[in-house]
Amino acid sequence: MSGRGHTRTRTHAAVSGTRQTPGTSAASLPLRILRYGRTQPLLISAIAVLLALVAISLVIIAVGKNPLQVFHSLLQGSGIVPKPRYAAGKAMITDFLGLLDAMTPMLFAALAVAIAFKAGLFNIGVSGQMLCAGFLATIIVGYSGLGALMAKPLVILVGLLVGAALGAFVGVLKARWNIHEVVSTIMLNYIIQYVVSFFIKSSYIDPVSRSSRAISSDARLTLMNVPLGDLSTRIPLCFLLAVAVAVLLYLLLMKTRLGFELRAVGANRKAAQYSGVKSSRTLVTAMVLSGACAGLAGVTYYLGYFNTIEPGNLTSVGFDSIAVALLGNSNPVACILSSLLVSVLTFGSTYMSSAAGISEYIASLIVGIVLLFCACSGFLQYLINRDRSRGRTLHNVAEGEGRDDGEGEGDGEAPEAGEGDGKTPEAGEAS
Amino acid sequence: MPESIVEMRHITKRFPGIVANDDINLSIHKGEIFALLGENGAGKSTLMSMLFGMYEPDEGELIVRGKKVNITSPAEAVALEIGMVHQHFKLVSNYTVTENIIMGREPLRRLLGILPYIDRKGAELKVQALCDRYGFDLNPRAVIEDLGVSQQQRVEILKMLYREAEILIFDEPTAMLTPQETARLLDIIRKLRDDGKTVILITHKLEEIKQVADRCAVLNRGRLIDVFDVASTSTRLMAAKMVGREIDFEVDKTAPVFGEVILDVSQLTVLDAQKVAMVKDVSFTVHAGEVFAVAGVAGNGQVELADTLAGLLAAKEGSISFKGENITRASVRKRTVEGLAYIPEDRHGVGLILDFPVSDNLASKAYFRPPFAKGPFLQQFAFRQYADTLIERYDIRCSKGALTPVRSMSGGNQQKLIVAREIDADGDLVIFVQPTRGLDIGATMGIRQRIIAERDKGKAVLLISLELDEVLSCADTIGVLYDGRMTKIAPANELSRNEVGEYMMGVQR
Amino acid sequence: MNQIIVDGLSYALPMLIIAIGGIYSERSGVTNLALEGLLGFGAFAGGLFVSFTAGIFLADSPVPFYLSFLFAAIGGGLFSLLHALLCIKLKANQVISGVVVNIAAVALTGFLAVQLNKAVFGGASNKFMLSTAPRYTVPGLSDIPVLGGLFTNVYPFELIIVVLAIVFWFILYRTRFGLHLRACGDNPQAVDAAGINVARVRLVAVIISGVLSGVGGMSFAYSISANVSPAIFFGAGYLAIAAMIFGNWKIVPTLVACLIFGLARSAAYQLILVLEMDASVTDLAMIVPYVLVLILLIFFSKRNQAPKALGQIYDKSQR
Repeated sequence: MSGRGHTRTRTHAAVSGTRQTPGTSAASLPLRILRYGRTQPLLISAIAVLLALVAISLVIIAVGKNPLQVFHSLLQGSGIVPKPRYAAGKAMITDFLGLLDAMTPMLFAALAVAIAFKAGLFNIGVSGQMLCAGFLATIIVGYSGLGALMAKPLVILVGLLVGAALGAFVGVLKARWNIHEVVSTIMLNYIIQYVVSFFIKSSYIDPVSRSSRAISSDARLTLMNVPLGDLSTRIPLCFLLAVAVAVLLYLLLMKTRLGFELRAVGANRKAAQYSGVKSSRTLVTAMVLSGACAGLAGVTYYLGYFNTIEPGNLTSVGFDSIAVALLGNSNPVACILSSLLVSVLTFGSTYMSSAAGISEYIASLIVGIVLLFCACSGFLQYLINRDRSRGRTLHNVAEGEGRDDGEGEGDGEAPEAGEGDGKTPEAGEAS
Repeated sequence: MPESIVEMRHITKRFPGIVANDDINLSIHKGEIFALLGENGAGKSTLMSMLFGMYEPDEGELIVRGKKVNITSPAEAVALEIGMVHQHFKLVSNYTVTENIIMGREPLRRLLGILPYIDRKGAELKVQALCDRYGFDLNPRAVIEDLGVSQQQRVEILKMLYREAEILIFDEPTAMLTPQETARLLDIIRKLRDDGKTVILITHKLEEIKQVADRCAVLNRGRLIDVFDVASTSTRLMAAKMVGREIDFEVDKTAPVFGEVILDVSQLTVLDAQKVAMVKDVSFTVHAGEVFAVAGVAGNGQVELADTLAGLLAAKEGSISFKGENITRASVRKRTVEGLAYIPEDRHGVGLILDFPVSDNLASKAYFRPPFAKGPFLQQFAFRQYADTLIERYDIRCSKGALTPVRSMSGGNQQKLIVAREIDADGDLVIFVQPTRGLDIGATMGIRQRIIAERDKGKAVLLISLELDEVLSCADTIGVLYDGRMTKIAPANELSRNEVGEYMMGVQR
Repeated sequence: MNQIIVDGLSYALPMLIIAIGGIYSERSGVTNLALEGLLGFGAFAGGLFVSFTAGIFLADSPVPFYLSFLFAAIGGGLFSLLHALLCIKLKANQVISGVVVNIAAVALTGFLAVQLNKAVFGGASNKFMLSTAPRYTVPGLSDIPVLGGLFTNVYPFELIIVVLAIVFWFILYRTRFGLHLRACGDNPQAVDAAGINVARVRLVAVIISGVLSGVGGMSFAYSISANVSPAIFFGAGYLAIAAMIFGNWKIVPTLVACLIFGLARSAAYQLILVLEMDASVTDLAMIVPYVLVLILLIFFSKRNQAPKALGQIYDKSQR
């Protein structure tokens, strides 16, 4: 008993003796910049885009075109770089406003994916939620003949509510019955696609265009043919709303209790429950927010960028938005930048296709390849942090020698975001 | 001069920031039981992992049966007739005993003389023969998840024997066993030696070494201190060598002063996800100023009991009353606010959010109320401030202070973080489940002293541990869980170590 | 009645073989949401072969029909390497990887189909035309009431699938490889300790899922549309995943699930025909399997037990 106090000090000495800061193995400066925590996600996204551009350049060269020319024409088509000539009433600014018009639903859709991601949910049903919201807003408001002041806010409201309701449904399926959201949202995509197709074909078809009848311009969220000097432009009314929603979602996530709960459930559902967070309710809330964003994406797409719905089709916006959200590392504000990038790829591709003489499919291919490299971001991170994390792993193993060596410590050490737990059961149900 | 079967020459293994094994020279004789003694973190497991091909030494050479070898994978170790029973068993839970044993070396038959398929019947006969030979009571067709810990351990031993291993390494094989099961395991180990096998026993328990080992090597902080002939060396001397200093394993504690009843559990029954009863009709009380320690072999309902008290699992029947209030149906949040603190067994999966920084983890049970939140908004500076205070007060080591991601911290400091959060909440009841699992001896003693300190402050403490030593050193009252039932509750000083062990194995008196 | 069974089988069996692919991947511990992309790319490869060799074989030769399945299997297998690379080597999140592979498959097949069609035939079509598949009726057996449907108007690929299903059942439950594979999905550490290479077992499992999905995709291409176009991505892969969950990751119960989906769908079609409803109502019949999946999942998602190590990245250095 006598040597107790003495023992404790000795023990501390021993512990600090073995912890010789494992992370400080000599790393080169660029590597140290890459490892800087806060900017790392951004840099990894940049690397992913760069790698994708290199890969796509190789494809373009293989098809026998000049990649620089292709990229240049993409920028021209998006109104970022001037085209050689413009038709009457058109200028760079009209192209650019068109880009913003296309970007608005893309940003909303990306926010839908991102907010769900933050709560550990993968909403790949954005396209279906968009279609459902767009269709209901079309038949409720688009054909109603209401005046612009009534109709436009009502369209937004209908979009919001329909999306939120669909999100809630998926959330409840997940929280109550443990149905993986990837499977349920995909099933809903098909159900919505066919049901909407049935109603349009049977009741709302325009016999000439084979699409739904055009909505009234009062209900449309994009103002068309607005004279601007001698130009005729379109004004996307909801673009600023989308940017504002992005900022609000960021503040919600980082600065509020609900955001804390959402991120906690996403990072480790069991630990969140242990902390007293009602994880089921949080999951449903996250899906409601996600669905609401998807609904807004739907109305700005079908009652803004377009004014009709083509039956039997889901828009690719909902899928491209996954790339946007991943690129933005699910940070709502970063999604503004990444949605601009992806919109340039998709919106500029029409002009690119005619100017550079290359198939429009190349745009979706670029998005696909960007996605591929984004999916590897965990690996990029692993490469960048390798000796550090490796040092830590083994260090811990050595320290807790034997007792924890396989499982306890090992579990959390995989260099993958959201690995620790949360994912295991989730991916378990996955399918 | 006895024949040497394994020789290690100048073995050094470094991990970043630490030398796990420093210039170790050992010679293990054929047919002996060779013990490797040292505290956690001394480098025992690392050394033997190199013999089993899981790591490669940075320097030095391994000589097996007189030949220099380079073992780069467990498969190569198996080819050299080396086998190892890991502390965490490596068994496929939904496979039968036989399937686990034969995996990697399956006997084949051929369908229609061509298509190879596994000869289950033959394999089962072989396994049965091995069981008979060593006196194991195991059904070759039993599924692993239905077996207890000691039976699973026998499957691991059979795996080695099936592969005709001659050098058998046991890594802390008695950590999770009752004294009676330990005695039986030691018998098996003796029998294996008498059968001509060489056994290497990694342990930090001196009594076991005294009972079975022929020779014993002592490791301390990566260095080989000495090799003894067990029969002619005193336990006291070995202990002193092991820790490299005088150490007191006893937790210093005064007689308890019981206050009012804090926790009253009555006829509690809990079902798991598969609707199987894991806790059955359990009743007990914990008073202020009391350490109520629950002993039991792993998987007898401990985790479920703790989770139910904390509100993570629902009670099927019975009631839980906390400070006189019925909380059986209360939410986790309500229990926390009322003053129930819980240090869970699974640090990474439950206790922490590894991707969150220290500050968020420290406030994870209080983020919703002042000073951390004003209305729906979080007050970041309050998180920061609170974290700085606790890091200081509980000596949590983290490289970047409050913003350190918890994932990058060592296991001991992660545990300190959880303990700091739970104890600083200043509740009336603290539930500790396996609080020292995986910690080195310094951290372990620190946590045990913390448990006693909480009791002395007048808190009620519920300690659930698989380690009998921990239970015996901390408890004022001991309850034993067996098969989900509390089979015995008695003051700690009225139960002997062996009695507790018998209850843990379900022996009724 | 006969028609319900005939159509139901030609829908259920391709889905079964895709689901068996999923079972292989997931029982080895690799979450596989990529089945949709794999079957599409497989069908693309098969269609590419048929349309590029159209002049070589006689018009009514059965050879291109059978060879197309071989090429579809190879195509699916090759494309599955992408999922394997992302999940096993690059340690990506397996759910994300699966979705990414699907999106990449849609983009790549669309792009390549247009490029290749333009380069070879001059028309920028995104379709490859197939000949109609032969169908056989077994005389005698087909006259049995109700069960006769099993032997009426059978596509040859249905037989191929039945044979493959039996073979892959045998491999999974009776052979060494199957034992190792199922163990990888429960406790990869144990497999590693037994001296077996976990990454390699998983790689092979994912490739098998690609090969089988390719066969399933080609079957759908022949039975549903007689061409290979982006319409091949109609969700069969996800339906197969649902069937697999419903079947508790076991082959025989999964067969039952596939039969339920297939028969429900063809029954809905027949109902519309019998009631002489408007053609646009077929859109409503299309939703039957999807709605059924959601309802069944409500009952089975919670009860069924996914492989324990599913979705976990296995890192050897962490044993």
